Amino acid sequence: MTVLSEPDFTPLAGDRRNKARAIRVGLIGVLIVAMLLALGWGAAGDTDVIGALLAGLGVGEVSARDMTIVWDIRMPRVATGALVGAALAVSGAVLQGLFRNPLADPGLVGVSAGAGFGAVAAIVLGGFLPLAIREFAGPYLIVGAAFIGGWATTLILYQVATRRGRTTVATMLLAGIALAAITGAVTGLIVYWSTDDQLRDLTFWGMGSVAGATWAKLITAGPVIAIALISAPFLSRGLDALALGEAVAAHMGINVQRMKRLSIMSVAASVGAAVAITGGIGFVGIVVPHLLRLVQGPEHRSLLPNCALLGAIVLLLADMVSRTVVAPAELPIGIVTAMIGGPFFLWILLKNRTMLEG
Amino acid sequence: MLSATDISVSFGKRPVLNSVCFTANAGELHAIVGPNGSGKTTLLRAMTGDLTATGQTLINGTDIADLSPAELAQRRAVLPQSGNIAFPFTVLELVRLGLHAGMPSRAGFDPNLPQKALTRVGLAGFEGRFVQDLSGGERQRVQLARVLVQIWEPVLNGAPRWLFLDEPVSALDIGHQLIVMQLARDYAEAGGGVVAVMHDLNLTAMFADRITLLNAGHVRATGRPDEVLTDGDLSACYGCALRTNTPPPFGGKWILPQAIANRTHVGA
Repeated sequence: MTVLSEPDFTPLAGDRRNKARAIRVGLIGVLIVAMLLALGWGAAGDTDVIGALLAGLGVGEVSARDMTIVWDIRMPRVATGALVGAALAVSGAVLQGLFRNPLADPGLVGVSAGAGFGAVAAIVLGGFLPLAIREFAGPYLIVGAAFIGGWATTLILYQVATRRGRTTVATMLLAGIALAAITGAVTGLIVYWSTDDQLRDLTFWGMGSVAGATWAKLITAGPVIAIALISAPFLSRGLDALALGEAVAAHMGINVQRMKRLSIMSVAASVGAAVAITGGIGFVGIVVPHLLRLVQGPEHRSLLPNCALLGAIVLLLADMVSRTVVAPAELPIGIVTAMIGGPFFLWILLKNRTMLEG
Repeated sequence: MLSATDISVSFGKRPVLNSVCFTANAGELHAIVGPNGSGKTTLLRAMTGDLTATGQTLINGTDIADLSPAELAQRRAVLPQSGNIAFPFTVLELVRLGLHAGMPSRAGFDPNLPQKALTRVGLAGFEGRFVQDLSGGERQRVQLARVLVQIWEPVLNGAPRWLFLDEPVSALDIGHQLIVMQLARDYAEAGGGVVAVMHDLNLTAMFADRITLLNAGHVRATGRPDEVLTDGDLSACYGCALRTNTPPPFGGKWILPQAIANRTHVGA
């Protein structure tokens, strides 16, 4: 029997916005669970996490010990992890849009190298600063130096790549490699002069860790990251248009030069702040946007918020792994993200070779 | 009206355009033809604001230098020759990018416009396909749909809008060449202006209202097809013997599409 079929018309063919919305709802749920898990995950057992959370909001009461563990030790760590993960993933997505290349990474615009240089300089050379400055800067010395180092490197890069009011993305990419080499060499020199204790600090800083997260650090870096995250969606229309090329983006009414400047500055600020408080954490900026683009498409309006969510989740999970595998010691989180992220990224590449060849 | 005066462009020390003047009227399809390297695309890019040129380009009386990118995007759209797309967009997603071009907000658009445009370029049903999986000609038509969506109404608030096409049919088979050229004509006949860089002289003769023939950065001739497409000018510019409206010698085959445009003044 033949059944007359409905006309073959699907009004939303090729439209992945609903999918992106569904993914966002799912990610919000997973993020909440991941945060609760991360808050409950730690060396101090039998902690009443939910009770402490409620108590912090003024509902009920728990022991001072539990309050301290949840609110003063774990919460800054979880918040830092989530914020840094979001910053790295969103920055990765913005840079990939800007460079029109799915393999771009915050490391490319010199911000990581510059921030690393700042931090190393602060760790090794900080001791030569007058005592008054050291006392005044205190724990912010490394954070501040890393932020300034990252931001300054990106500014130099932007100046190098901009001629007569036009920024050449290819020049920026190449200059980024050159600047990373220069700052890397100088960093190496400083490392060479460092003492054994400083060397240990440097090594751990380079591998990245959220273990040292405190409210004080978070309050310095958090607002910078938050502003960058909130402003990122305003770049989305420009980034979408840029996927078709700079000339086409201009034809479509995008002020390309302004958009490039805003993107670079926002990435430099948020990655600089992130690297400053946690050190170098790789692969989140590449893997997260890439994975989301495969399932929900490249439209930045929905891609950027989902990147923030998934980036936060990935870093929280990586932190839990880093706290577990060699417990009671901790593995630097950068090792975990690279160990999981590297092979995972390779797997995505192999699985989607045809997609990327297009 | 679109008018460009004294447009000069040099790449390094090499002059590409030399004091070129160009005028196109709304309601007409104006083709720019000429041999390779004669400056056709450069002239188009100078008039779309892509590259900095000396001289002045007025769109409906306003200097393009005084318009913001967004204001310009509401007055004209540009189909580039080709271009690679950085990320895997579906056809619908790509065409939809044109929907809000130059507009301050995302609200107040006909959400079916991308599908209407795809139907116009003969790609209905392609919405869910990935752009990188399409053939070159299909991609070109997807881009054309995006461009059409950007300035869908040929006349907005009484002012004509301008469609700039850079070799719009170069990747297309003969059937789709006719569809796209007819579409450009329809846009002009509805009151918009169309400026197209063309390589195919037969299609140009068939569809253009006016033609500007460029040679070595200068305007060799401009006017109606019968005024510009002359044996002498064409042969001189293209550097080979060309004869109009004459069958080839030795009885060889030649193929000329039977115009779907209802044209009366061609060859008049």
